[in-house]
Amino acid sequence: MRRFTLVLATLLLLIGPQLAIPAAGPLDGEFEVRSAFIVIDRGVLQLNVHVEYPVNDRIRSALQDGVTLSFDVELNITRHRRLWWNAGVLDMTLRRELTYHAVTGRYVLRDDEGVEQESFPTLEEAIDRLGRIEDLPILIESQLKGEGPWLVAVRAGVRRGRLSDTMRALMFWSDDWHRSSDWYTWTLTL
Amino acid sequence: MDTHALRLFGVRGLTAIAVAAGVGALVLLAASVENSALFSRWQPWILLLTLCGVVALMVLLARKLWQLYRDFRDHKPGSRLTMRTVLMFGALVITPLIIVYLFSLDFINRGIDSWFRVEIRQGLNDALVLSRSALDLRLREQARRTETLARTLRELHGPELLQKLDEERRAIEAREIILYDSSGRAAAVSSDTPMTQQPTPLPPDVALQVAAGRSYVSLQPLPNGQYSIETAAPIADAVAAHSTRRYILIDYAVPKELSALAEAVQHTSSQYGDLSAVREPLKVSFRLTLTLVVLLTLLAAIYGAVFTAQRLTRPVQDLIAGTRAVGKGDFGTRLPLPSRDEMGFLVHSFNDMTKRLRRASEEAKRSRQEVERERERLSIILSRLSTGVIVTDRELRLHSANQSAATILGSDFGAGAAGAPLSQFATGNQRFTRFLDELRGRLQSGLLEWREQLGLPGDSGGERVLLWACTPLPDEREGGGVVIVFDDITALLAAQREAAWGEVARRLAHEIKNPLTPIQLSAERLRRKLLGGMNSEDAQLLERATHTIVQQVDAMKQMVNAFSEYARAPDMRLTHFSLNQLITEVAELYRLQDPAAEIRLELDPALPEIHADRGRMRQLLANLITNGIEALAGVPNGCVELSTRQQRAEGALTAVISVVDNGPGFRKEMLGRLFDPYVTGKPRGTGLGLAIVKRIVEEHGGRIDADNRPEGGAKIMVMLPVSDQDRLLLASSDRRVELRRERA
Repeated sequence: MRRFTLVLATLLLLIGPQLAIPAAGPLDGEFEVRSAFIVIDRGVLQLNVHVEYPVNDRIRSALQDGVTLSFDVELNITRHRRLWWNAGVLDMTLRRELTYHAVTGRYVLRDDEGVEQESFPTLEEAIDRLGRIEDLPILIESQLKGEGPWLVAVRAGVRRGRLSDTMRALMFWSDDWHRSSDWYTWTLTL
Repeated sequence: MDTHALRLFGVRGLTAIAVAAGVGALVLLAASVENSALFSRWQPWILLLTLCGVVALMVLLARKLWQLYRDFRDHKPGSRLTMRTVLMFGALVITPLIIVYLFSLDFINRGIDSWFRVEIRQGLNDALVLSRSALDLRLREQARRTETLARTLRELHGPELLQKLDEERRAIEAREIILYDSSGRAAAVSSDTPMTQQPTPLPPDVALQVAAGRSYVSLQPLPNGQYSIETAAPIADAVAAHSTRRYILIDYAVPKELSALAEAVQHTSSQYGDLSAVREPLKVSFRLTLTLVVLLTLLAAIYGAVFTAQRLTRPVQDLIAGTRAVGKGDFGTRLPLPSRDEMGFLVHSFNDMTKRLRRASEEAKRSRQEVERERERLSIILSRLSTGVIVTDRELRLHSANQSAATILGSDFGAGAAGAPLSQFATGNQRFTRFLDELRGRLQSGLLEWREQLGLPGDSGGERVLLWACTPLPDEREGGGVVIVFDDITALLAAQREAAWGEVARRLAHEIKNPLTPIQLSAERLRRKLLGGMNSEDAQLLERATHTIVQQVDAMKQMVNAFSEYARAPDMRLTHFSLNQLITEVAELYRLQDPAAEIRLELDPALPEIHADRGRMRQLLANLITNGIEALAGVPNGCVELSTRQQRAEGALTAVISVVDNGPGFRKEMLGRLFDPYVTGKPRGTGLGLAIVKRIVEEHGGRIDADNRPEGGAKIMVMLPVSDQDRLLLASSDRRVELRRERA
């Protein structure tokens, strides 16, 4: 038993520091949901979110090297229930991709289906545009069944996009291009 | 729950954890590999389950290896064979595995590097440069056209301007021309598509550039993979103030062929960039995946090697354990048959051998038990024999002896006496010492077989006569073991004497009693006839003579009657009566006859009635009291004391009568023959009193003993069974004496 404890202690001594000190990631920097709210305009619930995304040279360099970044905004609305789990009302993800268009030298922002597209001459402009979601229709009022209050949670995430699932599965333990913000939550009352 | 059960539970639990973790990780991976959202959510669990499986497998393997090492260190049977097998299997598995691992690592590195060769990157960059160059030419051309158009639009306003815009748009093949005023609002529009919405204001970056008097040109990517060229230029009106400046924005379509080529280059470049970015992580992932797979395979292979080795060597271990068990005498060992191969044949042969050995062992055991039973039987016979048996060697060390030998010789051999010298038991025992001296003398003289009588000192000064015989043991004729068999024939000799005296008494009664009456009658007739005619002197003489004759004849009659009584055949009339009452009556008679005689009684009031011949008991008591009183003649303060008590002897309830006196006691030389007829210490005794007492006691199945008291005086103790059943019990305990008598 004493020998086993000794071996375990040695392993922890060797591996522990490496586990304790996190390596600097490419998505390091300020990354949070600054504000989020829902307005109701003529019976339509519209989402407004302001996200502060990190901007640094590694991101810029990666984009210019051809890497595509996916920017997700997850929205979750639940209805509060006493003595029971909350009832799910809405669970949606708004996904957009940012790429550097090497031929035109512009940063191109498009939705994941490629229907809508915008281009920006600078990364900062593109990131600023990404961080502002304004009046995004999410529900009509009648879809909020029952009585409130409703709990709304918003979270933003960034990850390296355009990788096949097989490739992503192979890289699941070495992909540091994946980061999520904390949940930004509030209570919605009508 | 004991330690073994806990260990077993732990091993099974760990195995279950390893299997469950592995299966769980596989299921999650398979379910989530097509769904990146699920994969993202389950990724930590997949990792955790994989780690749990690896850790559980490592613990199991570590336990196995530790067990193997401990067995090897403790030199357990089969451990070396197991270790060798494990090492061999391990080497067979590990060597190719490591080669494959190293080869795969190199292959992964080279393979992935080959995907991103420098030539490909350079080619893509060149294609990009080429695309940009081609588009730059068109950009410059379109910018020049825009500037030219801006000049032609000077001083044009209103419908003239709109017409000019349409003409020029068609001429330069533009998609749209918008004219902005100084505030950035669209003042005029010419488009090849119908207008559905208001034109967008002039973009700020464009506005800044044209406000500074410079032209603007930009290539814009469109969602459908097409490109457009956006150009802008200020219209240089001659008299226009800064507040009334106008700007023209033209949107040219890039030819489809050129757009497709440029988009293909862009798409390929982007894909390559995406893949290139994961180059190193992909290599790390492949390496780690390969390492994990190899590690798992390695662990599983070593575990399998240990498991297989233990499985293969288990029959050998069983055989070793079985051999040891057989060596320790456990012939019931049966080994499980492992298979039908050579090892199975070996185990089968071993089982067959142990089966035969067990049979042989059982036979031997049965024989030993038979011998043991015979020995016990012999021991019982010896212990029940009234004959003493001693087995000894020439050095007189005891081999065995029965209880009768100890009883006859007055010693106690006890348990564990075998091997002890006989002299050890003779210490302080005059009879045994004499016996041993006689034995030693004969053996030393080379005499090994004899049968003769041997006189030894008795308990109370008398003599005990033994009939002893010696025979050498058959298997120790050379070594010197002998068996000595001896009987105490003292009682037998006494019985023979008693029988002889009975015959004498019967003849005396028959031959002497008949002439006595005529002699007495003749003497009385002589006295009657002659006494009257004689003078006084002769008359006195005759008187004395006839008186003497008559008196002596009476005395002889009494003596003859006594002999007759002694020789008379027993004719018992058994009744139940109180012995205490009878003793009181007899004692009272003697007190009346001889007031000087002091007779004390100490009778047990709890003494039960006995079943006996009352007349004979009266005679017995009379003889004993008479004997006591006569012994007290001339003794001052003489006293005869009679006492009774009940006593258990050999399981039988008996009444014990003790008669003691404070007279001179028995003479020492008479002690051994007190109950023989015609043995008396009194001047006028017939010597038949105690002989008759003894006969009466024996007729009632009792025992009698006589001895001198340490404080002086004689003591006679009579033990009589209370009932017929007690008589039988007492008689059975005296069976040895009876047997001797029967044999006699």
